[in-house]
Amino acid sequence: MNAHYNAQKGINMTIVEFLSDRLGQFVLQAVFAAAASIFLIATGTESGIVVLLLVAWLLVLLCTQTVAFLRCRSRLHELESIMDSLDQKYLFAECIPEARSIYERRLLDLSRRAGKAMIGAVSDARAAGQEYREYVESWVHEIKTPITAAGLICRSADPATRQKLSRELAQIEAHVERALFYARAESPEKDFIIRPVSLADIVAQAIDRHRTLLIQSNVRVETEHLEQSVYTDEKWAGFILGQLLQNAARYRNEHPVITLSAKPLGQRVQLIVRDNGIGIPAHELPRVFDRGFTGSNGRTRGGSTGMGLYLCRKLADCLEIELQIRSETGDGTENGAGNGTVLILTFPAHQTLPNYAK
Amino acid sequence: MQKIMIVEDDPAIREELALLLKNEGYCPLPVTNFTDVSEQAVRNRPDLILLDIGLPGRDGFSICMGLRKAVSAPIIFVTSRDSSLDEVQALSLGGDDYITKPYSIPVLMARIKAVLRRGSKATEPDVMEVRGLRLNLTKGTISTEAGTTALTRNELQILACLMEHAGEIISRADLIEALWDNQIYIDDNTLSVNVTRLRGKLSELGLQDFIKTRRGMGYQLI
Repeated sequence: MNAHYNAQKGINMTIVEFLSDRLGQFVLQAVFAAAASIFLIATGTESGIVVLLLVAWLLVLLCTQTVAFLRCRSRLHELESIMDSLDQKYLFAECIPEARSIYERRLLDLSRRAGKAMIGAVSDARAAGQEYREYVESWVHEIKTPITAAGLICRSADPATRQKLSRELAQIEAHVERALFYARAESPEKDFIIRPVSLADIVAQAIDRHRTLLIQSNVRVETEHLEQSVYTDEKWAGFILGQLLQNAARYRNEHPVITLSAKPLGQRVQLIVRDNGIGIPAHELPRVFDRGFTGSNGRTRGGSTGMGLYLCRKLADCLEIELQIRSETGDGTENGAGNGTVLILTFPAHQTLPNYAK
Repeated sequence: MQKIMIVEDDPAIREELALLLKNEGYCPLPVTNFTDVSEQAVRNRPDLILLDIGLPGRDGFSICMGLRKAVSAPIIFVTSRDSSLDEVQALSLGGDDYITKPYSIPVLMARIKAVLRRGSKATEPDVMEVRGLRLNLTKGTISTEAGTTALTRNELQILACLMEHAGEIISRADLIEALWDNQIYIDDNTLSVNVTRLRGKLSELGLQDFIKTRRGMGYQLI
């Protein structure tokens, strides 16, 4: 509908444009006709014949110009429909069958050269992006070796130093992990594998990964009804869960408890991560998944990057996990009851997953 | 003593890991030449092989294929490559487990123990005994001459950990770590509550003061 309308508009424009394009030619022809008529009358030709000649001339002119206009219009029609049918519009010049005139061929050649230069620039930019992501990935793998070594070495330090060092190392690790998954989430060829995974395994691995932070924050973790399997990528889902555990430990209250429970929802499975922490103000909830959003909690406590939940949302979208968040801030209204944040991850049913992911 | 071969190119990790394994009662076999890993494995007959994937020259996957042909020892991949694809490939090439760097030491030790146990088919003793107290791990009960009482999962693991190191002082932090290893994710308070309950049950069986509190250090069975 829209395309049709545009095409119509294009043609209407062309009549005016067509005439204005050839205005000089018409004026020249009129001047010449007038001069010829004056000459013929002056040399004694009957005015009736002159009029006849003028009319004939006008008719020929009208015919040739109409034909020219129609050809021009149909050509534009053809070109526009080629353009409309293209997914990658920048390939337009490559898709035109045959130039109708030398002038048109020259124009197309120029347009093709412009297109080629553009395609080159785009693919250069893509390659640069890809190289950068690959570098980040390999850098992350490299950095893990010294982190591992430092973890092993710090074992021989005295308990107090060991505790402090292992907390710092855990933080480095968490930042590195986010960089890795950021690069992965941006990558066009997402390297995840969807297969049935035990929810209990994902949870146990995520807790293990962040146990230093959790234990040192004196968190108690309760798990309930996790004997289910879900269709997802173990690592990616583990990363998402890890972010939620880190948030729960970071924004904790006294006697922090994190509860992880699961329940089936039709064909799907819901994992519910509940904490009794300081919660998130209601007006900030809609924005917590935004990139770089730190909120009042992040600002008052510091050290918030605003990337954790953003990445969660991004990865969850790839895995077709639905992410919901609810929260209550304990400002003493209801005896502080019901404080904390609840995150619900709804894992997809097997059937709804796209084929490439199966 | 069980021999564990360490195929790891980073010298710091290799040395520290060897030290750690030695302290844990294993015999570490660090590998420094990666061209003939299979031959070295045939010569030294390790009970377990820890294998890094990103090695100079050859990658761990091809070494794993060579090792699989040469020896039957279980292989644990220890690597910083952590995508699911890598893991699937590692396990399909005959790896027995896959651990990603940076690992926590208790997790690494637990996985090593699990793989070794699987390989040797030997089971952990399911009854422990210290000074007349018998702990049955499968039934989850303790018994003395005075009678038998059932324990909760938390109490069971706490007591098992203390009995395993009878006589030694176990710090609260170590006890919490040990419980987290067994997927009991408790905090400091809950630990105190559980220890108090455990003491109550023990004294019902006539064992007063079985678990000593060492101020500022931890608990001790004496």
